[in-house]
Amino acid sequence: MSALVLISVLGVAVLYLGIFGRKVILAPVAIIGLLAAIALLASGWHIHHPLLEGMLRFDRLATGFGIGMAAITVLVFLFGPDYYARKEWHVAEQYALMLFSLVGGLLMASYTNLLMLFLGYEVLSIPLYVLAGGKKRSLRSSEASLKYFLLGSFATAFMLMGIALLYSLTGSFDTGKLAAYMAAHAAPNMMLNFGLLFVVLGLAFKAGIVPFHFWKPDVYQGAPTLVTTFMATVVLMAAIAGFYRFIDATGMPHALATVLALLVLATLLVGNVIALRQTNFKRLMAYSSISHSGFLLLALLTDTGFAEGHGAAVGGTLLYYTFTYSLATTGLFILFTIAKRANQGAEHNGIFKGLWHAQPWLALCALALLLSLAGIPLTAGFIAKYQVFLLAIGAGWLKVMLFGVLMALLGIYYYIMVARELFAPAEQPVTFAVAPLNWAVVTLCTLAVLALGVWPHLPGL
Amino acid sequence: MALLALVLIPLIAASLLLAMRPAAATARGLALVSTLLTLAVVLWLWYTWAGTAVTAYSLDWVPAWGMRFTIGYGGIGLLMLVLTGVLFPFIIGTGYKQPVGDAALVNALLLYSQAALFGVFMAQNAFLFYIFFELSLIPIFFLLLRWGGEHKRAITIRFFLYTLLGGLALLFSIAYATLQTPAPHSADFSALAALQLPAATQQWLFWTLFLAFAIKMPIFPFHSWQPETYTMAPTQGTMVLSAIMGKMGIYGIVVFLFTIVPIGTAYWQHLVIGLSLFGAVYAAVIAFRQDDFKRLVAYSSMSHLGLMCAALFTWNAYGISGGLYQTFAHGVLMVCLFYIAGMMEQRVGGNDLARMGGLKTRMPRFALLFMLIVGNAISMPLTQSFPGEWLMFNGLWQLNPWIALAGVVLIVLGAIYMLYVYQRVLLGPDRDVAVADADGEEHFMLVPLIAIIFLVGLFPNLVLQLVDAPVQQLLNTFTSLH
Repeated sequence: MSALVLISVLGVAVLYLGIFGRKVILAPVAIIGLLAAIALLASGWHIHHPLLEGMLRFDRLATGFGIGMAAITVLVFLFGPDYYARKEWHVAEQYALMLFSLVGGLLMASYTNLLMLFLGYEVLSIPLYVLAGGKKRSLRSSEASLKYFLLGSFATAFMLMGIALLYSLTGSFDTGKLAAYMAAHAAPNMMLNFGLLFVVLGLAFKAGIVPFHFWKPDVYQGAPTLVTTFMATVVLMAAIAGFYRFIDATGMPHALATVLALLVLATLLVGNVIALRQTNFKRLMAYSSISHSGFLLLALLTDTGFAEGHGAAVGGTLLYYTFTYSLATTGLFILFTIAKRANQGAEHNGIFKGLWHAQPWLALCALALLLSLAGIPLTAGFIAKYQVFLLAIGAGWLKVMLFGVLMALLGIYYYIMVARELFAPAEQPVTFAVAPLNWAVVTLCTLAVLALGVWPHLPGL
Repeated sequence: MALLALVLIPLIAASLLLAMRPAAATARGLALVSTLLTLAVVLWLWYTWAGTAVTAYSLDWVPAWGMRFTIGYGGIGLLMLVLTGVLFPFIIGTGYKQPVGDAALVNALLLYSQAALFGVFMAQNAFLFYIFFELSLIPIFFLLLRWGGEHKRAITIRFFLYTLLGGLALLFSIAYATLQTPAPHSADFSALAALQLPAATQQWLFWTLFLAFAIKMPIFPFHSWQPETYTMAPTQGTMVLSAIMGKMGIYGIVVFLFTIVPIGTAYWQHLVIGLSLFGAVYAAVIAFRQDDFKRLVAYSSMSHLGLMCAALFTWNAYGISGGLYQTFAHGVLMVCLFYIAGMMEQRVGGNDLARMGGLKTRMPRFALLFMLIVGNAISMPLTQSFPGEWLMFNGLWQLNPWIALAGVVLIVLGAIYMLYVYQRVLLGPDRDVAVADADGEEHFMLVPLIAIIFLVGLFPNLVLQLVDAPVQQLLNTFTSLH
C-alpha cells in the first residue's frame, strides 16, 4: 500500500521537477524512488492483510508481480537518459506517465474487487495512449496512439459491461462473493457466462490475445522504442497478473474454459505464423509477444474449473514467465535502439549485421536473449516454457499442448533468423555507439536470464 | 571426477580458444591436446570398467520437477563415451590438413559439441539428457551456418528445425513421463524405468519419443534433412553429425524406448523394423546412383543406421548386441570415409565422382589405404564391421528368416556401391593430371584409424564385453513382459 502511494507521489514529484527544467536528475530521482518502492513491497512480503476495505490484497504473488514490474521499470528508466538525451520532448511527462501506468499495474496485480480491476485497467491504459503518441511529428506514432485509444476504449467498454452483468447477479463487486455465487449456482447461466466472458475479453485485449491483437504490431512499431519496451514488459506483466487474479478467483466454468482453449490455439497460430513473415524488428517482437501471450494463456487455462486459490503454481509460473520474458525483451529493445542508430534509423532485422565483429560481447548477449525468447535450454525462457508444458500436461490439455510444442518450433525459427544476422558481416562498415549505461543494462539482463535459467528457484517463489 | 573432467576439459579448452583467439597452429594444438586428454580419461574408464553401472553424482537441481544432476554410466553409455573419446582427436586432426575458416572459432565450436555429447551419454536423468541433447546441436548449427557449402542457410535451418522438432517431442514425452512418477517426481532414468504405464499410453508415447531419435539417426521417412546436410557441411561437421550425433538416436532408443515404453515398443516393433529396413534398402539403392562422393557416403550412412535400428528392434541378444557394437564400428568408418572424401575434394576440387578416376597409378599409397577402408565398409572378415553385421544378421534371422533376406540384400548392395565408388575414384584409364599421393599427415590420420578397424575386427570382444551385461538385463525385462 505504501508502495502504491510512494509511486503515485513520485510521479507527481517528477512532473514538478520537469517544470523546473532539471532534465538530468529526472531519471535518477525516479529510479531511487522506485528502488524505495521495491524495498517497501519486499518488506511487506509476509503481510497478507486486505487493504482499502478489502478491495486490494497484497499477497505473495501480488507482491512478486509488483516487485517484478517495478524492477523492469527501473531497467527501462536506466535506458531513459541515453534514449531521451537526443530528443527535445518533455521528458518529465514521459517518466511520470510511466510511473502512473505502473500504479495501475500494481492495482491490477492486487485487486480483490472488480471496481479496483477496472480502476487499475484504466490507470494503466490512459497514460499509455498518451505515451504511444510521444513522437508528435511522426505519423506512425500518432496512428499508434489513436488506434490504441480507440480499440482500448472498446475493450474497456466490454469489460465494464461484464462487470455490470456480474454485479447484477451478485450485488457486489467482490471477487470472493462472485466465487461464492458461482459455487452456489452450478447450473449454466447465460448472464453469468456473458459477464465472465466480457471481463475476460477486456483482459485478453490488454494481453494481446487473438482476435484482440490487431493493435499490437502497429502500436509497437509506431510508439517510441522506450515506450514499446515499457508496453511489452510492464504492461504485459500487469495484464497477465490481472487475468490470473480473475481466473483464479472465479475458476471459470467449463464452457468458458473451452472458449479460452480456442483462444490459445488461435493466439499461438496467428502469433507464430505471422511472425515468420516479419522483416521489421519491432513488428516481429509484437507478434512474438502475441505468441508468448498464447503460452501464458495456456498456463492460465490450467487454473480453470476450480475454486479460488487453486493455482499457486500457475501464478508462480506466470510471474516467472512474464518477468524473464520482460528481461529478455528489455535487453533486446536496447540493442535494437543501438543498431537502429548505427543504421540511420532503419528498423528491419538486417540492422544487427556486423554486431559480432564490432561488439562481440553485445552480440553474445543478443544471442542469449534471443535464445531465451526461443526457449533453448539453460536460458530462463526454456524453464518458463517447460513450466507451462508441465502445467498443461498435469491438467490434461495434451492436444493443446502438442500444438503449443509445434508452435514453439516456429518461434525458434524466427528468433534464429534474427540471431543469424548478428554474425553476418555488414554490407558497409557500421559503428555501434554504445552508452556505458546501456551496455550495463544489456549485460545485466543477459546474466539474469542465464542465472534464472540455470537456477530457476532463485527468486524463492 | 573422471566423468566431470570429460565435460570440463573440452569446455575449458573451448572457452580458452574463444577468449584468447590464438593463431591457427596454436588453436589446433590446444584442441588436439584437449581431445587427447579426454581420450586418456575415456580409455582409463574403459580399462577400469568392472561390469556394473556407476553413478558418479546425484545432486538436487529443481526437485519439484524431478530435475536432478545425476551422471554416471552403464556399459552402453560407456561404449558411447568411448566412441566420442576415440573419434574426436581424429575429427580435430582433420582440421590440420583440411582447414575451414577461423581455426580458433571452429575448434572451439567442435569442443563445445564434444562437451555436450559427453554430457548426453553420461546423463542419468532424462531432463539432463535433454539439455545436453539440445546443447550439442547449437555449436554444430553455427559451424554449418558459417562454413557450410552451397545453400548452407536453407539446409542448415531445415536441419535445425527437424532436430528441434524431435527435441521438443522428446521434451514433451519426458515431461509427461516425469509427471506420472510418484510424488516427489523424478526424471532419473531409474525412476522412469520403474514406471509401468498403461499399454494405451505407451502406444502413443512411443511415437513422441521415437520421433526424436528417428530424426537424429535418421530413419526413413524422417531422413530428408540428412543427405543435403552431410554434403554441404564442412568435413569436420559431417564427421560429428554422422559418426557421433547419429548414435544419440541409437542410444536414445535403448535408454528411453526399451525401458520406459517396453509395451509400446513391442506393439510397434514390426512397423519400425519394416520402416528401418525399407529405408536402408532405399538409401543403398540411391547411394549406388550418386555422382557426389560425400552424398554417396551420406546415403550409405543412412543405410547402415537403418539396419542397426532394425537389429535393435529384433529384441534378441544377437540383434541388440550387434546394433550397439556397430555404433562403434560405424563411427570409425564414417570418420575414415569423410576424411577420404575431404582428401579427394582437395585434390580434384570437388566431390563430383566424374572428375575422379584413373588416379591409382598416381596415388598408390592412397589406393591401398582406401582399399582397406572399403574392405571395412563392405564388412570383410577381420575388419571390425564383420562381427557387427554377422550379429545383426543373426538377430534378424531369429526373428524371421524373410526379414533376414533384406539384410542379405543390404550386404550385397553395400558391396556393390562401395566397390563401384572405389572403381570410379581410382580405377580406369590413367588421367594426365597432377595429384599428390597421401602425405605424411594423412597417413598419421588414416593409419591409426585402420589399426582400430583391424584391432576391433580381430578382438570384437573389446567392445562386446561392454554391452553383454546391459543387453542381458534388457532381455530379462522383455521376457518378464510376456
